[in-house]
Amino acid sequence: MKKFLTKIAFYTFFILLIGNATAYLSLYVLGKSQLYKNQFVKNGVAATQFDYVVLGSSTGLTTLDTKLIDEKIHTSGLNISMDDTSLSSHYLMLQFFLSLGKKTKQLVLCVTPDDLQNPINKLNNNDYRFLTEVHDSLVYNYYNRLEDKGLKVLTYSKFFPILGISYYNNELFYPSFYAFLKPNKRNRFDDKGNYTYPQIINNLSEVGFASSKTNYVNPSFLKIQKLCQQKGIELIVYQSPIYRTNVVFPTTNEFKIINHSKILPEDLFYDNIHVNSKGRTFCTLAFCEEMKLLK
Amino acid sequence: MLFNSLEFLLFLPTVFFLYWFVFKNQLRAQNLLLLVASYIFYGWWDWRFLSLIIASTFLDFFISIQFGKTDISKKRKFLLGVSLVGNLGMLGFFKYYNFFVSSWIEAWSSVGITMETSTLNIILPVGISFYTFQTLSYTIDVYKKEMQPTKSFVDFAAFVTFFPQLVAGPIERASHLLPQFYKKRVFDYHNAVEGIKLIIWGMFKKVVVADNCAFFVTKIFDSPEAFSSGELFVGMVFFAFQIYGDFSGYSDIAIGLSKLFGFDLMVNFKFPYFSRDIAEFWRRWHISLSTWFRDYIYIPLGGSKGTKWFQIRNVMIIFLVSGFWHGANWTYVAWGFFHAVLFLPLLLLNVNRSHLITKSYGCIDLAKISLTFFMVCIGWVFFRANSISEAFLYLIHLFELKSLDLSFFYSTNANLIIFALSVIAVGIVSIQELIWVIKKREVPSLSTYGALFLVLLLFFMGSFKNQMDFIYFQF
Repeated sequence: MKKFLTKIAFYTFFILLIGNATAYLSLYVLGKSQLYKNQFVKNGVAATQFDYVVLGSSTGLTTLDTKLIDEKIHTSGLNISMDDTSLSSHYLMLQFFLSLGKKTKQLVLCVTPDDLQNPINKLNNNDYRFLTEVHDSLVYNYYNRLEDKGLKVLTYSKFFPILGISYYNNELFYPSFYAFLKPNKRNRFDDKGNYTYPQIINNLSEVGFASSKTNYVNPSFLKIQKLCQQKGIELIVYQSPIYRTNVVFPTTNEFKIINHSKILPEDLFYDNIHVNSKGRTFCTLAFCEEMKLLK
Repeated sequence: MLFNSLEFLLFLPTVFFLYWFVFKNQLRAQNLLLLVASYIFYGWWDWRFLSLIIASTFLDFFISIQFGKTDISKKRKFLLGVSLVGNLGMLGFFKYYNFFVSSWIEAWSSVGITMETSTLNIILPVGISFYTFQTLSYTIDVYKKEMQPTKSFVDFAAFVTFFPQLVAGPIERASHLLPQFYKKRVFDYHNAVEGIKLIIWGMFKKVVVADNCAFFVTKIFDSPEAFSSGELFVGMVFFAFQIYGDFSGYSDIAIGLSKLFGFDLMVNFKFPYFSRDIAEFWRRWHISLSTWFRDYIYIPLGGSKGTKWFQIRNVMIIFLVSGFWHGANWTYVAWGFFHAVLFLPLLLLNVNRSHLITKSYGCIDLAKISLTFFMVCIGWVFFRANSISEAFLYLIHLFELKSLDLSFFYSTNANLIIFALSVIAVGIVSIQELIWVIKKREVPSLSTYGALFLVLLLFFMGSFKNQMDFIYFQF
């Protein structure tokens, strides 16, 4: 028995050593790349001063084209939106952006009505992308707070990177090989952080015309608002088009709201909540007009 | 509790420690510990189902005690009948009630008579088919006086609920496993190391092979009309490896875990995809079930004795019952029927045992293995499809050979990575098993470094995020 337990202990230690070393190397390589948005913001964006940044999920990523905005109203902007996320991730991304010493005058926060009135924050599908920064207390505390009970694979990756790398091996481990070969490659966004959906309209599912009321309840939204106040950043809440839906926001003087929920012609949608490439141009130009008025 | 869960990672060392350190050399205490641990293991899914397994245990324990007290044939038959009705009644109610009711209603509606649906919201208890057959084997063996009834309820209950094999087999015979609970167990280093290696091999097959393949299988079988013939072919082959990795992986883990506690379980799989005909396949696939059917149904029916028609009838019964055992759906019956149709020509030509005398593999065997594998894959389409019509739809699209396009597998980065992982995993299992087959090994046999390498592959190739339940839990 003693021999058995000794060998089990030895081989477990050996496996964990090799596994963790490999996982650490994988995260290191990924952390030096520009593959995902947080790595891009850290390694691929040299500028530190911006007039505005666009922050949101897939709607933020694909609705406002910062290149076109900068061309039209002569500003300097960046899109730091990440698909499949919600306000909790947006708050983390904003904190991360500021922690890098980068500054912005305005924050264009792309929201969705459901997320805005959601009182409970959960971990989002693409939050694993911050794993390269798990040693940063900002990211570690975020994981620790939002990961479900049980084995917190992301949180404990700070000490055992094999946990997160194993669990997200398709999303982190294999892409790290790619990042090693092409460190400047970005995962579906351009050099200003924008992405667009192709021009097809057959993804729409038929719905009736509706009105959707929302409210400012999400705790992460309130934190973003507070952080903006502390850092002297002007908060602009942006609502992207939703197919046949009019989003109604409660009136407030605390921040500006640009509501584009019902401005888009139906043939410019990609699906019910995303615009296609023509729709992106349409919304961006409308956004520029609003920004001119705000000035 | 799943073998590939965090709870089990804590459960196993705890039981192992108590078993070998706290209750060392205390046979009764060790058996009681195994019983309590097994109840915890099983109750983790739903503690209410413990009542069923306890009822089944009590029923067969006391009936067998009664067998020991009487030689009166009528009384013994009556007691056997009570056991069969009790055990098969529970199995029938929980597993087949809704199926029979809905089939009955469908049958009447096909002739224009509409009846009200009155199915019940019944949850299928995990592993009920496995432990029911295990307890039945005990009762029948005692009835046939092939073994003595046990006087220890704890030993018997521990045999029925032995956690490594409780929910998905191997279905142990009382004559093989129960006596092991009577004997003092001594820790054996080599046995334990073999057990660990089997657990690793089983985990690899489940988490790397089965769960990666499942990612595509689920999508392809959900809407076969949306895929090309090439993609359907790959989907079919992936399901063959999914179910093999899933089920044989579970068996390997079960056998490996048992070795850690000093028990020896029967071999359940002998590299079945290297079979040269269907008869050989059934001697290599789910051996504990096929031998159960052979001993308790096929032979009592007369087996291969008698006229050809008699033999055909027995073969048909055995395959159809085997199909039906797997689940309450006509697809399983169709799967059993398909295998019977493949088996019957071998039986009629009297070549169903020819593989038993072949000593080495030649070139022609490669063709036979490929053909057998292909036919088994066709059978799996019936097994996996939601209905017989969907199975035929799948096969029609497959054999239309409209397009051999495989673009689905590289349509996204995630698909491409998982497809590559699936192909590599299937390749590793196939090559490793081919080596064992050539070396005439009947069970997996890994080197220490091979096992360590597999553990690393498990970490970096395993599908932990898209983890699936073991398929055979539903049976």
